[in-house]
Amino acid sequence: MNFEAVIGLEIHVEMRTKSKMFSAAPDGFSHDPNTEIAPLDMAFPGTMPVVNKQAVINAVRVANALHMTIDHTLYFDRKNYFYSDLPKGFQITQQARPIGKDGYVMIKVPSGEKKIRIERIHMEEDTCKQEHFMDYTLLDYNRAGVPLVEIVSLPDIRNGTEAMEYAEAIRNIVVYSGTSDGKMEEGSLRCDTNVSIRPCGQEAFGTKVEIKNINSFKNIEAAIDYEIARQSRLILSGEAVVQETRRYDEASGKTVRMRLKSDAVDYKYFCEPNITPIKLSDEFIDEAIKTCPELYEAKEKRYLSAGLAQSDADILLSDPKMAAYFEEGMPLVKNAKDLANFLIVEINGYLNKEAKTISELPLKPATLATIVLMQETGGLSHKQCADILAKVLSNPQMSPEKAKEELHIVAQVSDSGAIMGFINEVLAANPQSIVDFKGGKDRAFGFLVGQVMKASHGKVNPAEVSRLLKEELDKR
Amino acid sequence: MNYIDLPLQELHEALVAKKVTPLELTEEALKRAHADQNNAFEYLDDEGAITFAKTLTEPEKDNPLWGIPYFAKDNFSTKGIPTTASSNILVGYVPVFDATVISKLKAAKAVMIGKTTLDELAMGGTGTTGHLGKTFNPYDPKHERMIGGSSCGSAAAVSASIVPFALGSDTGDSVRKPASYAGLIGMKPTWGRISRYGLFPFAPSLDHVGYFSRDVYTSAVLLDVLAGRDPHDSTSSMKEVEHYEADLKKPVKGLKIAVLKMVTDSIKDEEIKKHFYSSLEGLKKEGVEVDFVEFGKDLLESLYATYIVISCAEATSNDANLDGIKFGPYKGGKTYQEVMYNARTAGFSELIKRRFVIGSYCLMRENQEELFLRAQRNRAKIVERTNEILEDHDFILALAAPSIAPLFAQASDKLSDEYLIADNHLCLGNFAGLPSITLPLGYKSGMPYGVNFMGRAFEEKKLFQISQAFETLTGLAETSALAPKEAKL
Repeated sequence: MNFEAVIGLEIHVEMRTKSKMFSAAPDGFSHDPNTEIAPLDMAFPGTMPVVNKQAVINAVRVANALHMTIDHTLYFDRKNYFYSDLPKGFQITQQARPIGKDGYVMIKVPSGEKKIRIERIHMEEDTCKQEHFMDYTLLDYNRAGVPLVEIVSLPDIRNGTEAMEYAEAIRNIVVYSGTSDGKMEEGSLRCDTNVSIRPCGQEAFGTKVEIKNINSFKNIEAAIDYEIARQSRLILSGEAVVQETRRYDEASGKTVRMRLKSDAVDYKYFCEPNITPIKLSDEFIDEAIKTCPELYEAKEKRYLSAGLAQSDADILLSDPKMAAYFEEGMPLVKNAKDLANFLIVEINGYLNKEAKTISELPLKPATLATIVLMQETGGLSHKQCADILAKVLSNPQMSPEKAKEELHIVAQVSDSGAIMGFINEVLAANPQSIVDFKGGKDRAFGFLVGQVMKASHGKVNPAEVSRLLKEELDKR
Repeated sequence: MNYIDLPLQELHEALVAKKVTPLELTEEALKRAHADQNNAFEYLDDEGAITFAKTLTEPEKDNPLWGIPYFAKDNFSTKGIPTTASSNILVGYVPVFDATVISKLKAAKAVMIGKTTLDELAMGGTGTTGHLGKTFNPYDPKHERMIGGSSCGSAAAVSASIVPFALGSDTGDSVRKPASYAGLIGMKPTWGRISRYGLFPFAPSLDHVGYFSRDVYTSAVLLDVLAGRDPHDSTSSMKEVEHYEADLKKPVKGLKIAVLKMVTDSIKDEEIKKHFYSSLEGLKKEGVEVDFVEFGKDLLESLYATYIVISCAEATSNDANLDGIKFGPYKGGKTYQEVMYNARTAGFSELIKRRFVIGSYCLMRENQEELFLRAQRNRAKIVERTNEILEDHDFILALAAPSIAPLFAQASDKLSDEYLIADNHLCLGNFAGLPSITLPLGYKSGMPYGVNFMGRAFEEKKLFQISQAFETLTGLAETSALAPKEAKL
């Protein structure tokens, strides 16, 4: 029997706004617990929520990037339940009227592209962070009230790879729109998935299993593919899939049961009475969209048309700060591809070795561009420029010109007339070598190249020397 | 007679003339409060009040609240001052911030003397359910009659002439009903006119900041100070604040009043009704048009049920923060559920738990349509009908309550017509968020009773105008249990 998997993703993204979703406290990313809190975040009696405008702007931008219908009136609801990480005893969310509805995103699949439909995107607030110990639990309210957008897909995803591609596409949008840093490892992008399988051709859905605690994009793929295989095995051996919540265990590569799911909890939703509906004007929405930073897709298109290979564009865009660095240098060089090469090979090599990020690179994009130009128009080889770059990186105060001087690097002569002058000079002085070469002694060729380099004090391009010398010897 | 018994305007003049100082007034208020026998206070801030009063040495001629002592209901957040909302769940809670109204009064140099009792968490209308027990009506030294609630302590403090005004809150009628039983002016403006930031929520869609005073002038100048947009309360209105006392002397000729016929009809007390009718004649003499209108019996009878469903539903959610983890007495427990269960079991009275159960039941998925959403739709109908009447009339008028303050022993919630309609109609002003004011009308057996005017949204100035005319008519300004007057009518 062949099975088809049906997969839905709920992605929570922490927004990087200056203040929280409904309070004026800073956005809770301090590493000192309980230092970024307003009375509202701890649910002090009498506090009231005030909607964060930047969070709304972010949500509008993400909704627009996901081709969604944007609601022109904001409504909020209360989701009521008791839990130790939920200060107010309810979460303010958008249940009845999400800010965005009915969108989609295109993902890459082996056969080309696939449309994944998105049901809704809504804003809500984060809970506080719990740290559990043997017989007590510590609460950190820094995270309480941090703005979230939740993006809920329709069940169009069919395997782990598609799910990963989808999550990465969402990540790219939230990161490039400036909404979030989208780091799964740090929990600023969290992904819950629902997986069920059904025999191919069957319309009814199978029993849904929820997988939580996936902490990397790669693990989305691994967890889902494992889960599909597990459910298939169960059904083939005549066992039933039970409705449950599982978590992905990275060490074993398996999903393991967290808890059985009984009937879904009744959250007793009702409209938040402390926030009256907020009208969003057309101007506000247009402005939010118009001022949205350039998104991943547009950048990718631009890089490719500037001559970058797809793989190079992918690498640069995998880190928005790298992309920003690249774009700052781009107009200063002749060929974007040369700059990309330096960034991907030399700069990335340096950063890896030094365990630094691009933000810590002691080199301005303009300086790197100067070095790239030395290759493009200054007659230096890539190797020579790489040496200059290395020198500058180890002496950040030093200019590329100074480094070049200290390294005694001089421009190569590629002009064939000048090179021929040196060749003729060397051939005249070494007739025996010509005879040896004609007699089949390859070593004689190398000797002659060396003599030309010596005569030119290394200023000529060795590849050009080889080519011209070969031609000349063939003529004689 | 002490300066503190003077009408606010005269008291202000005495302060400006330095015949009396804020410190002397504060000491007098504290003295009276300590001697008070009505169980009206949760906390008396002797030290804070005196320290602040001592700083008030230069009178401010244009600030009528300068140096005036007042009380706040104990459900307003007051920085550094214990605030319990008269519930055991909040015993020991000391807020870290001031409610906006408290900040505004502080900025106006009014002196807060302390905090007053309420029905637990402002849920109740009898003034009997707070954790300190019953609050008594100063007009009844035998302590047999209630003062009403939930703002019982504030009503008692003003009625006993301890201070010239006090803050309350009004979700169904919690300022305007006790005002009727205590012979006071009880005012609640339009929803959004006064910031609710720092008011412990009961049911935010119905909650209002309100206050008690002994004359209409005080009520009007207080709104000058308390009203206004507050960035901490996004439901507060951007509308400009007016000079609410500006039209107090303007003639009321030509204003139109709709009297709710069904409310009067359901009241059995002929003496009170007769008195009410003669006040209408008095208004007519001033050139006011008086119409009797039908509101609709079904709608009026549905007020109470609609109110219970909506207010309990919102309350169960608002008070979910009181879970023994951040707030409330920690009573132990092996799991977080046990910690919450133990704290809430110990912290809330049975009445509160009953309201939570009702609210929770109404919000349950399987009941929401039939109860909560139906109540919301009915609320919309009630509001529509109210505004319809106000299209043709400037005000809606009715007796504020069907009787004088009931005896504790007779307090009941039997669903009679009188109870269903005449005892609950004030919540119209909460459903529609309209400005509403209770004014003294007269006395029966030495106990006061009053009427209630409700106006159009944000037409508080006009509401004070008619109130002033009514006050002049009855001659019942500046009454207190210390100095009861005879109604002129």
